[in-house]
This record gives sequence, C-alpha cells and structure tokens, in this order.
Amino acid sequence: MSGIEIASLVAGLLGVGATAWLSGRAARIVGALCLAALVFGLTRALLGLAGAGGLAAGLCALAVWRFPGLVLRRVAFAVPSLVLLIYATTLLMYKAPGNPFAGERAATPAVEQALRAHYGVPESATEFFAIYLRRLVMEGSLGPSIKVQGRTVEELLLPALPVSMALGLLALTLACALGIGLGVLAGLRPNSAVDHGSMALALIGISLPNFVIGAVLLIVFALGLGWLPVAGWGGYPHVVLPAVTLALPYAAYIARLARSGTLEVMQEDFIRTARAKGLSEPAVVLRHALKGALLPVVSFLGPAAAGILTGSFVVEVLFGVPGMGQWFVKGAINRDYSVVLGTAIVYFTLVTAFNLFVDLAYAWLDPRVRDAEAR
Amino acid sequence: MYRTLLGVLASLAVALAVAGLTFTASVEQSADFRFINGTEPRSLDPGLLTGQPEGRVARAIFEGLARLEARTLAPVPGAAASWEISPDGRTYTFHLRPDATWSDGRPVTAHDFAWSWRRLQDPALGAEYAYIVHMIRHARAFNLYGGHAEALAGPIAGALDALRREHSGGLEVSDWQAFVREHGLNELLKGTRNATLQASLLRQQGRIEADELAAVSAALPGEAAHRRALFEEAARRYGIDAGVFARDDWTLVVELEAPTPYFLELCTFYSTLPVPRHVVEVHPDDWFLPDTIVSNGPFVLADWRVGDRIRLERSESYWGRDQVGLASIDVLPVENATTSLNLYLTGAVDWLPGNYPSDLVEPLARRPDFYSGPGMIVYYYRLNTRRPPLDDPRGRLALNLAIDRELIVREVTRLGQVPAAHIVPPGMPGYESPESPVRTDLAEARRLLAEAGYPGGRGMRELGILYNTQEGHKKIAEVIADQLRRNLGLDVRAYNQEWQSYLASGQAGEYDVMRAGWIGDYLDPNTFLDMWISNGGNNQTGWSHARFDRLIQAAADVEGFSTGLADLDAGDGRVRSRLEGLQRAGDAAERRRAGAALRLELLRQAEAILVQELPILPIYFYVVSGLVNPQVEGFYSELSLPDGSRIPNLQDLHPLRAIRMARGEEAR
Repeated sequence: MSGIEIASLVAGLLGVGATAWLSGRAARIVGALCLAALVFGLTRALLGLAGAGGLAAGLCALAVWRFPGLVLRRVAFAVPSLVLLIYATTLLMYKAPGNPFAGERAATPAVEQALRAHYGVPESATEFFAIYLRRLVMEGSLGPSIKVQGRTVEELLLPALPVSMALGLLALTLACALGIGLGVLAGLRPNSAVDHGSMALALIGISLPNFVIGAVLLIVFALGLGWLPVAGWGGYPHVVLPAVTLALPYAAYIARLARSGTLEVMQEDFIRTARAKGLSEPAVVLRHALKGALLPVVSFLGPAAAGILTGSFVVEVLFGVPGMGQWFVKGAINRDYSVVLGTAIVYFTLVTAFNLFVDLAYAWLDPRVRDAEAR
Repeated sequence: MYRTLLGVLASLAVALAVAGLTFTASVEQSADFRFINGTEPRSLDPGLLTGQPEGRVARAIFEGLARLEARTLAPVPGAAASWEISPDGRTYTFHLRPDATWSDGRPVTAHDFAWSWRRLQDPALGAEYAYIVHMIRHARAFNLYGGHAEALAGPIAGALDALRREHSGGLEVSDWQAFVREHGLNELLKGTRNATLQASLLRQQGRIEADELAAVSAALPGEAAHRRALFEEAARRYGIDAGVFARDDWTLVVELEAPTPYFLELCTFYSTLPVPRHVVEVHPDDWFLPDTIVSNGPFVLADWRVGDRIRLERSESYWGRDQVGLASIDVLPVENATTSLNLYLTGAVDWLPGNYPSDLVEPLARRPDFYSGPGMIVYYYRLNTRRPPLDDPRGRLALNLAIDRELIVREVTRLGQVPAAHIVPPGMPGYESPESPVRTDLAEARRLLAEAGYPGGRGMRELGILYNTQEGHKKIAEVIADQLRRNLGLDVRAYNQEWQSYLASGQAGEYDVMRAGWIGDYLDPNTFLDMWISNGGNNQTGWSHARFDRLIQAAADVEGFSTGLADLDAGDGRVRSRLEGLQRAGDAAERRRAGAALRLELLRQAEAILVQELPILPIYFYVVSGLVNPQVEGFYSELSLPDGSRIPNLQDLHPLRAIRMARGEEAR
C-alpha cells in the first residue's frame, strides 16, 4: 500500500472517530448534511439533478430543525463510516492477488484496457474509489457487475435480498418459537429429563455445522421420505428445509439463553410473591417469569438478525436458494469489485439500521437515555 | 403471552408473504427438459462467451451459418441453407435461408452475419475468443494490429531504447529473451515479414551485439507503420467488402488466409453466432437480457433469474420449429455437486453433465442412466522452465518418468481416464499423436536427475505443486508429490490457491509446478498445440522453442510457408514426402487433401518436440460423463457416423434442438 493510501485511511478513521465528540449542535448540522447526501444519492437517478437537490436541501433543513438528536448523531457517524468502509474495502480488494479481468487465457493489454475503461475499474485503487463514489452519489448506482455481464449490482442484489430476508425471518421466528419453548421448559425443571434432553439437543444444534444438519434433513425428508424437494426456489415446500436448517443453530443458542434466564428469574422474590398469592404455576410462568427470562434472548436477537437476514452461503448453496449469501462469496472469489462493495454496503446498512432501531427503542423505553442524547 | 404469540404469528405471516412474492409464475410449471448447467453464464452475448455452460445456452437461442447435427456432430446447414467451397479451400460462399428470421420477425440476412463477425474482431469489443477465426482475411489485422502498432511505436520502442542505453556493449541472449518475454514480443510480432525482427526473435544462443539491437530498433518503426497500414485497410474493409462480406442480402462470402479444414465447425462455434444488429446498437451492454433480446435460434430466452434458472421456450419464428422437440427448457446454474446429484436423483432434472460428487463415481457408474466416454480434455502439469531444476530438460524428464499415471487413473480418478504421455487427446480425425508410451522408469529418472546435478535429490530446494482449490485436484497433487518424494528423493509440497490467485500466479510465473487443464475449442489438434508457442498467452512455462514455433506457424498456412518447409523435416522424411505430395498434386481438390496431410504432419512434429522437451507433464485425458434420464431422446453419448462407425462424443456436445422427451406432455 502506498503512503498516501495509508495516510488517507488513518485520516478517515480519525475523522469517523471524531464524530463521537461533535457537540450537539455540530452533530445536528453534520448529520443533516450527511442525510441530505444520502437522499440525494438515492433519488438522483429518479428525480434528476434539480429534483434530488431540492429534496435533499429541504430534508436537510427539516432535519436540522426537527429530527431527534439521536438519529442525526447516528447518521453523522454512519455516512462517513460508509465512505471509509468503501475505501478500506477497495484497498483490500486491490491488494488481493488477481483481478476481475484475469482469465485462463491472458487478455492482451489492449483488451484489458478496453475492459477496465468500460467497467470503470482503473489500475489505481484510489481512482477506482473516486469513480465508484461519484457513481454512487450522482447516479445512486452500485455499478456494473463485471462477472455477470449486462447487470448492475443492484439488479443482482435486489431480487436476492427479499429471498434471504424471507428465509431469514422465517428461520428467526422458528428459532424463537423452538428455542424459547425448549429453554423455558428446561429452565423450569432443572436436571430433569426434559432439561437434559433439550440441552443435549441444543448442544448438538450448536456444535453441528449447518451443512451437516442440512444434509441429514435432506437425506431423511427429501431423498428418503420424498416429502420435500431437494433444492430450488419456487414454492412453499422449497422453503421448509433451508429455513429449518438455518433456524436450528439459532434455536439452540436461544434455548440455552432462555434456560439460564428462566433459572435466574425463578429464584427472584417476585416469583415467590406470585406463588404466595396463590397463582397457578402456568400463570406464574407466563405472566411473571417469561418477560424477565427472555431479556438475554432479546439482546442476542439484535446482532443475530442482521446476520441471518443477509443470507447464509452454505445453506443457499446446499438448497439452491437464489439469495444474498452467494454474492458475498462469489463477489470475493471472482474479484468482482462492485459486487464485493455492494454486499458490504448492504450489510453495513442493515447492521447500522438495526442498531439505530435498538437505540431508538431504548430511548423510547428509558427517559435517561433520551436526555443524554439530547444534550 | 398472547402478544408474544401474536408477534410470532405476525412475523411468520410476513416471512411467508415475502417468500411468496419472490416466487414467480414462470417457474411454477416445470419445463419439458431440465438440466444442470454447472454455473451461471457470465453473458449470453455470443461475442463475449468463453465457456461451455454459456455455449450450451447460446447455441440453443442462436443459430450460426451451420449447426451441429446431434447424431454425428457434423456441421449441417443452419442459418445458411447451403454453401460452396472454392477449389483452393480459401473462399466459402454461404447461401442464407430466405425463411430464417429473428424472433422479432425480421429476416436474418448476410448483412447480419457480416456485421456480427466484424463486431467480434472489433478491438473495442475486447472479445477473448476473437482469435478463433483469425484465419479470415483481415480479421487478425483488424482485431490486433492497431494495438500492436501503438505498442511497437510507443512503449516497446521506449523500452528498447532504454535497453540499448543500459547495454551499450551488447547483452547475453538470455537477457534478450527475458526482454522479449517481458514485453510479449513473440506474440506481438507473430507473423512479421521483417527478416531482422524474425531473426532476433529466434535467437537462442550467443550474444546480441549493440549493432544488432540497433538494427532491431531501426526496424520497429517500419513494422509499426506496416501494421498500422494493415489495420487501417482491415478497419476499412473487414466485414464490408473483404474478409467477410454480404454479396447480396442472402449471400455471404468468407475469404480465408489459408485453407482451414475445420472452418465449417467454427461456423457452429458460439463466437460466430450472429447477433441482432438492430438491438445491439440500441442496448449495447445488456441487449442479451430477456427484456430486450432478439435471437434466431430454435429457442428464445423467456426468463433469466440469476442464481435460480434460465427458462428457454421453443421459438415460434424459427424456420425449423417443427424439428424442435421441446417446448420449454430449464437451465439450472447449480454449482454444488451434491445438490446437483440430489436434484437428479429425485427427478427434478433430466440431465446432469459431469458435476456429481467424485467420491460417488463407482456406484453411479453402475447405474444404467450413467454415460461416459473419452473427452477432448487433457489434464496436465505446467513446469516452470525458468527455475532450476526445471530449466534443464533432464530435470523435467526425470519428473516425467517418476510419475505413475496408471496408479492415478486407477486409484484416484477411477473413471477409466486414459493416462497421457502426449498432449493431444486421442480421437482427432486424421491425426495420430507421435509415439510416446506412458511409462514409469525410476532408474532412468534417478539417472537423469543426477545428470542434471541433483543425485538422489541432494542439493535441491523444495518444489511446490500449485493447484486451484478443489478436492479432486488436491488428491492428484498429493499423490504426485508423494511419488516424487519417494521416487526421486525430492522435497515436494502440494499447496492450493483459490482460482483468481492461482491464475495470477500462473501468469506471473510464480510457481514451480502447476496443475492445469485444457478443453479443446474445436476438433483439431491445433487447439492443443498452438498455445505452446513462445510466450503464448497460455504457455506460462517460459518454455520457448524456435522450431516448434515455426512448425505451428507453418501449419497455420501450409501454402504460404511452403518455401522453407523442407528444412522443417526432422530427418525421417515424413514432412518432405508430404511436401512433395503437395507439389505433385494435380487438381485443386488433390492439392487441398495433400495440404491437409502436410498440415497434420507439421502438427505431429510439433507435438513430438513438446513430448521430448516436456515443458508440461501430461497426466491423463479426461473422461466426459454424466447422468441422463432414460426418457430423453436425441441425446448421443456416442456418435454414429454415416459409414456405420461409432466414435466418442469428445466434446460432450448435445444440441438441445434435437432433444425430445419420450413421455407425452399430458403425462406430466
């Protein structure tokens, strides 16, 4: 890496870090500007220069005036982070051996030059970064894929994202239902057969990689019993096996968290009170214990959601699901620079958005947080 | 509690609804014929295709001048109803079908082909496979010489000046060859008529004195100007009134630099398929996507969902639609071998070409729906001849003799692969590889290694065998590393790199021994041999052999080269006798036959050099294999020629046009 690249990386890191020390007023202005840039990029292609500019300016003014400080501070952090992420990823991609235009037959220099010019992938990482960022802001486009010709990265990711999200949501729901059920049951009767059984299951779920679980499910339900299709995407039967495979490890984690949560809560004084006032055992558990028991589960779900919703490469390959996960891997293997950046941006956006939701929920629940942010 | 339950139900409902939206109507109905294509096509633009999976789809939706007949894989009339070949074999006149149309109803004319073939060579398109029809007059000049002229006049001239300043007292030939290699001069100056340049490229020994460098330097501007002129003429004329051009709407004329026996086969190859000018000019980058594509083949592209499937449907505007047996085809881009096999075993696909888990070869090979046969693919190891001990032919020979290929095909690949001692797979029509028995001779190998200066492997550094990350390659590399360790006492390590890094290492020459494979592009030995010319794009071994280069050049243009051909004879008179046959030939037809025989002999001599010098170690010839539903008809894993003989389907080509399903559509 050249000195300039390292220097700009360090400067970028410092700059992003510095947003944490912005004063409330400065954070409002920087955040609003960042938000305006974001909206401009997203609507530029749709509304034209004047329309997008007007919308962004209006939103910027509205944001400075009315938006919650928490949101603006987040945006003021997230947008520079995104730019830094793009830069760092670009440098890493350019450092990796090979390039997207290498094939088995070495391309002649003239051909490679033509391709580089066509796809906007010059030989310098910094130039690429400039072209990419300009295209992102001015056209709101993630750029053309190099290996899947004729399509832009958004055309690849947009049909894949809902597939992964639907599958992920289903798996998450399944994991919650299964994990909480087993975990709470186990926690209520520690050291019973139920406890040992469900914890053994959870241990298996955690330790078996999902390509093994998936293969076992395939052998039993698809190849053996013939109830479900082995692979593909096109109907609800196709969804079952990948969703279950994806869900099982998460269900196992959740079961363990729910069990320890339940164990702890059941020792609490308020449970004794509830029992003392003569409530039936189900009422004690459902009305009083469950809320407390699930706190560790809820804090686990936040980060888990971002991961599960963006798709799992292994499960997608095993079951032939056209989801997002494949692009994380294929982009890197093919050195398809714009696909790598596109997936990084999508993942970053999801993580940031989930964090923001969590923070907003906290602020809504807890006045102390809200006050601290407003200062 | 009820709220929790409600929340769970709500998220379930949302998930199912989103999932439902991602299913599409088109895939709810299963296609007549479904097959695993192994990977997602990068493109369906014929000019830009590079691989078999793309070729399968492109050949179904487009039709070239000729097409392959399924039972024989011989070229038969496609978009052209008939053709004539001039007696000297250099001019092809194609008469196009007046009833052939694009899928939007426009007629397919000779102008479409002329334009498509010009586009293929257009330097701005950057087509990797443009070279495949460089025997057409002006094609190579149009495709490459503009860039060559620029390089010769600019960077090369500059680098040569720098070299001359640095070595004002002349330089060693090895330094000169390094310069030639670094700047790709052999590739760049291929076919030059300038005697000074020709001589300097072929220099293998002695010193290059300052005045020789000066002469080369002085010859460059002339060569650059010459190429510029050729390029300009080609740019003005190729595809318009020379090389390939439309004489009228229905007559296409193709002029070749040299008679090419496999030219009609090239007219079925995916790079030469026509593209719809009226659409390509409007949507240059994405005209081949379902919304915009217009095609002229037996099928049309109905849907293409990346990562899911390509749906093809019978074209209603295709001239021969009555001969097309399938109403719809699903092409699945499944890469995972286990998933592919699962789909086949549950009847979700009808054809699985090759891509099954290799560990299951034996049980699968016993199934009645399994097919296999020799393939036109060679598995080999490149040896980096720039590094000791592989720079010494004796070192390479020692490795060659220390490998037990029989063991590898018997115990590792286990599908009846043929151990290879030469590079051209058996089965090329009219071609016989030089005799070179597959043998393992440890005593001889140890003797050669000792002669090369490493008795018993002493004094040798560690050798690395590079392979691209894949289980099958790993097994073979480990076995070979083990054989070399035990048989020669060498310190050998097998290591892997993922695909792009592996390609980069190969091109940079950063390896000792490197696994590779080559699939023939067309049914002719040339496709396995011309890649080994000095500094060829696929050579990557640093090996360069002047006589080999001349043989390949001579074979490309037997008649144009005939003056110097006599001294290419290896002493056994084989070239000489065929040359005399050519000179004796009376009429044009006889001349063409004699020329073809001479050409094959030249290629044979070239392969003999390769086998003696061994810049590569051939390991085995692939077997093509797969599983196909017994109800599929028109699928020939073995070809039957009109004379009754049966030959293997070397390229594993199965034109989709001829395939039909035995069960009726109602049965589904």
